[in-house]
Amino acid sequence: MKSKRLLAGPYLFWSVSFVIIPLLVIVYYAFTSDGGTFTLANLSQITTPENLKALGISLLLSFISTLVCLILAYPLAMILSQKQVNQTSFIVLIFILPMWMNFLLRTMAWQTLLEKNGVINSILGFLHLPALEIINTPYAIILGMVYNFLPFMVLPIYNVLIKIDPNVLNAARDLGANPVQTFLKVTFPLSIPGVISGITMVFVPALTTFVISDLLGGGKILLIGNVIEQSFKQNSNWHVGSGLSLVLMIFIIASMALVAKYDKGEGGTAF
Amino acid sequence: MSNKLIDFQNISKTYGMQTVLDDFNLYIRENEFLTLLGPSGCGKTTTLRILGGFETPDAGRVIFDGKDITDLPPNKRQLNTVFQKYALFTHMTIAENIAFGLKIKNKSKQYIHDKIKYALKLVNLDGYENRMPDSLSGGQQQRIAIARAIVNEPKVLLLDEPLGALDLKLRQDMQYELIRLKNELGITFLYVTHDQEEALTMSDTIVVMNQGYIQQIGTPEMIYNEPENAFVADFIGESNIISATMVEDRLVKILGVNFPCVDEGFGQNKPVDVVIRPEDIDLLKPGEGSIDGVVTHLIFKGVHYEMEVMANNYEWLVHSTDMFPVGTQVSIHVDPFDIQIMKKPESEDEEAVNIEE
Amino acid sequence: MIRKFLQKLYLALIFIILYAPIVTLMVLSFNQSKTRAKWGGFTLKWYKELFQNEQIMSAFYTTLIISFVAAAAATLIGTAAAIAIQGMKQRWRTFYMGVTNIPMMNAEIVMGVSLMLLFIAFRMKMGFGTILIAHITFNIPYVILSVAPKLKQTNRHVYEAALDLGASPLEAFFKVVFPDIVPGVMSGFMLAFTMSLDDFVITHFTKGPGIDTLSTKIYTEVRKGIKPEIYALSTIMFVTVLVLLILINYSPEEKEDTKTKKKRAKKPSKVKKILLRRVIPVTICVLFLFGGFYYSRESNVMNSDKVVVYNWGEYLDPEVLTMFEEETGIDVVYEEFETNEILYPKISSGAIAYDVICPSDYMIQRMIKNDLLAEINFDNIPNIKNIGKDYMEQSRQFDPENKYSVPYCWGTVGILYNKTMVKEPVTSWSILWDEKYKDNILMQDSVRDAFGVTLKYLGYSLNSTDLDELTEARDLLIEQKPLVQAYVIDQVRDKMIGNEAAIGVIYSGEAIYTQMENPDLEYVIPEEGSNIWIDSWVIPKNAENKENGEKFINFLCRPDIALKNFEYITYSTPNVEARKLIEDDAVRNSKIAFPDLSQYENLETFQYMGTEADQTYGELWNQVKSH
Repeated sequence: MKSKRLLAGPYLFWSVSFVIIPLLVIVYYAFTSDGGTFTLANLSQITTPENLKALGISLLLSFISTLVCLILAYPLAMILSQKQVNQTSFIVLIFILPMWMNFLLRTMAWQTLLEKNGVINSILGFLHLPALEIINTPYAIILGMVYNFLPFMVLPIYNVLIKIDPNVLNAARDLGANPVQTFLKVTFPLSIPGVISGITMVFVPALTTFVISDLLGGGKILLIGNVIEQSFKQNSNWHVGSGLSLVLMIFIIASMALVAKYDKGEGGTAF
Repeated sequence: MSNKLIDFQNISKTYGMQTVLDDFNLYIRENEFLTLLGPSGCGKTTTLRILGGFETPDAGRVIFDGKDITDLPPNKRQLNTVFQKYALFTHMTIAENIAFGLKIKNKSKQYIHDKIKYALKLVNLDGYENRMPDSLSGGQQQRIAIARAIVNEPKVLLLDEPLGALDLKLRQDMQYELIRLKNELGITFLYVTHDQEEALTMSDTIVVMNQGYIQQIGTPEMIYNEPENAFVADFIGESNIISATMVEDRLVKILGVNFPCVDEGFGQNKPVDVVIRPEDIDLLKPGEGSIDGVVTHLIFKGVHYEMEVMANNYEWLVHSTDMFPVGTQVSIHVDPFDIQIMKKPESEDEEAVNIEE
Repeated sequence: MIRKFLQKLYLALIFIILYAPIVTLMVLSFNQSKTRAKWGGFTLKWYKELFQNEQIMSAFYTTLIISFVAAAAATLIGTAAAIAIQGMKQRWRTFYMGVTNIPMMNAEIVMGVSLMLLFIAFRMKMGFGTILIAHITFNIPYVILSVAPKLKQTNRHVYEAALDLGASPLEAFFKVVFPDIVPGVMSGFMLAFTMSLDDFVITHFTKGPGIDTLSTKIYTEVRKGIKPEIYALSTIMFVTVLVLLILINYSPEEKEDTKTKKKRAKKPSKVKKILLRRVIPVTICVLFLFGGFYYSRESNVMNSDKVVVYNWGEYLDPEVLTMFEEETGIDVVYEEFETNEILYPKISSGAIAYDVICPSDYMIQRMIKNDLLAEINFDNIPNIKNIGKDYMEQSRQFDPENKYSVPYCWGTVGILYNKTMVKEPVTSWSILWDEKYKDNILMQDSVRDAFGVTLKYLGYSLNSTDLDELTEARDLLIEQKPLVQAYVIDQVRDKMIGNEAAIGVIYSGEAIYTQMENPDLEYVIPEEGSNIWIDSWVIPKNAENKENGEKFINFLCRPDIALKNFEYITYSTPNVEARKLIEDDAVRNSKIAFPDLSQYENLETFQYMGTEADQTYGELWNQVKSH
């Protein structure tokens, strides 16, 4: 038993060295000024109107994206979970497969698709349909987020759904519940751990992304991720960047704690 | 007994290449405790799932209380199921589990409350309302599953190997419990199991199935004492099944020795199978019985001794309260009415004969 | 039936959405035209060129190796940890799972930055090792979260049974428990590998010079338009993985299995199965491996004699590097950056010793001011004589004594407009505020350029630090925002070529290229004046191979080399001798590439204004962007 615990040693060492200490470095930067003196100014940067607005838009867009992902992913996961077993590994891999095309390229490709004279509008024009004008708007950013993060919503939900004993659903039907009632009262509540993992895995990257808003939003929409990126890269102000990162981290932890409150079962069913 | 409550008419069901049920016919009477008994893959669970509405037959109709329910979804059927591994809703408390069906039917709060109390009392689990299913033992979960089903006052309760996951002692307790429930509730039970002892203990009627065909229908006594073919005989209890020849009415030649019996109508010099239950064999001193042999194995079984006797190149299985050590010379005697004669199947298909009369 | 149909329809729809961009990229890999905005006919040349492009191929193999090693290491550490965690008491398990969740919950950017700060603090050399550490770090949680549920499902008694039967704990684990959790371990590994492959943000912050993964390579190219070879490579990668997947999942004999009677049919299909599921995948893997050796051999012959170059993305003809290496025997370690502002902290932190870098005017000024640059020994750069006097004079604005810098490229900022969409003559910046062109204007997405243009329009200096002037400019930019289609950097190029917008603010160097691709485009320097900029080679103080750096600069000043670069990047060269060599009269006398500077009195160079002003600009710009 003791030797077994030693197996966690390398991991503990690794986590402390490369997860916890770096975070402490961020904290250090967040609370100090250029000269190394203690300050709260970096943290209070979040209260400037533009940063607050960026945070607000980020929260809104990532919330919508998460919601859309959930709405799209749930039926998908349900359909997939009903497939025969030897087919599923293949189908599930099909969802991971797009990730083998680089994330930046995939997002760039959406530009080509969505542009005013892009592929989609050419097709729509050919069919004499009204053009789709969402490039460089928040809608395009949402699309990009949903596109990139959808697999992270599908997989955890799928993994929970295939573990539900079909007889439990049969039991609900047997006790008089119609399909809708069965879904609302049994399937969905049982799949909540997966939904929570999914929400986490979509919401967090959506909240912090800067590449998607850059490429699809036409640089017109400033997300909190962009602000942080700018403070590190364009303004070279690591202290403010760290301060904002810290605020963002607190935000994420708080919202996840809020979500996790509804998670009675154990999470960690992500994959 | 009363009228047919459920009637399976010419049901067929295949999964891919495999035929599970083929032109299956069976009826169940009201207030009957009917057991479908057979090895796994015999079609018994499929039959139950078709009745529950979880499977649709490829052909045939299911008539319930005079109405065709073949295409009715499960939630519209007036019957409830107790599933193999309980299938409790793990995200609900015991009370919520039991109330599930009642809430769907929009029963009043008071009514639901009373029903939960009543059901928990019935299954001897009062006070468990607020526990979660995971915190209960297997037997307790099983009883909750039953309680959850019966509060809906179904006309028929379907039970799919409900005791399969329980240990022996618990299983026996639950068997009595089920019999008591059946008597108290007065509803029809359709019970599926592969455990012959369970079937014999609880049932009014047993239906023995194999490979999608009914082998025999009858009371437990009939099934046990007068198996209609070698499959039933072999499946129910231990027995000596021996190829023999029916010399004439009331005389059968087993292993070259003539035995008087009570069966008639098989014709003359026809090949038959005979079944002799091990407890029906008497061991006498050499020369005093029909065939002489020697004891080759001996095991103490508690209530009786189990022995194997080598006689005329056949190992006879014998149960007896008397002990004969290995090597003892004995003679085998069987009373005529303890010899059960069965027609020998002439082809493979006939072995799975479909009995409907 | 209808339900089934709807399900199929839904699946099909999602698949279309999922794969539309991928198909797009694949199609682009066959595009004759270099820009993604135009279809120039079918070609396979990018595939051919891909295998000759050592930079891309070595980035590709670096990516594969890092992903593989990181995933393997993470699988090892993660699986061990998962096993240990499984046997722990509740409290410890919660603690460990909490730690595991940190990288999952944390923003990628925060993680990347925190690791970068750590590496710098501990003076670790940024490069392969640091990327690997970072990747292992973010991979471990994926492995743990894949393995833990499988472990929970395994029966503890199985392990004990193995011990009982005489197996040692190790044997028991590998023979009994491990096979049970293999699916989890495998999916953890695959997931980690995929995540590594796809990561950009964290790699970006933790990489060093001379090393690129596909992601970082692509990011430097997003500015200048992505090389079609990258599309070709992605297509090959994708198709390979798809084929592997199909082979592994498609087993032809499975259907026959149910018909047990056809036993004879099984033998040949077994051979087929082994062929399909083992031989082909292994062959492909071996092929990849050899490719890796081949390309890494080519790129990794580390000569002690080297020069570390840090340049803008796509700002040098790769052939020039090869020529330099062949002529001098000095190895070039080449890295690219995207903006001056990214470059600066890397130089100021001193984490990486670059030998030659290519910042812009105002950044050079800042570096000189902060004592980050070494004086160039011009004895080693005889080719400096080829650089026009005017340009050396211009350089004095940021390098007063011409001590630190050698001009490399220069240009102006102006308006690129599409003659078919803009009928009126364009002379003033005011067109950027014209309601007529709502949603048809592309603005530069950088603080200095956006404010520079606006300040000039208002008649102020583009180096203004007057808060009133800046506020006025900010208000004007906010007023303009509804008219702007997008704020972009070098994507102006592709968008203008593709007729996406009517007007764009653009660097003159890009304008030449866009005109070649789309003759409807016209470039003007507005009458209010504009920015004239110079990118120059400088040598940082902490350079380790200063002399090699000077050799490199000297090489670039050779007329034939400067010409080669000009033809590749189309940015104006200050090398007058090179200009004389340009064959095409139209280009040699192009008003865009080589405007007569005497006609423009109000052209200004950016100056470094100090941190305080930088912050003011940054804040005002954020106010514009977030408006």
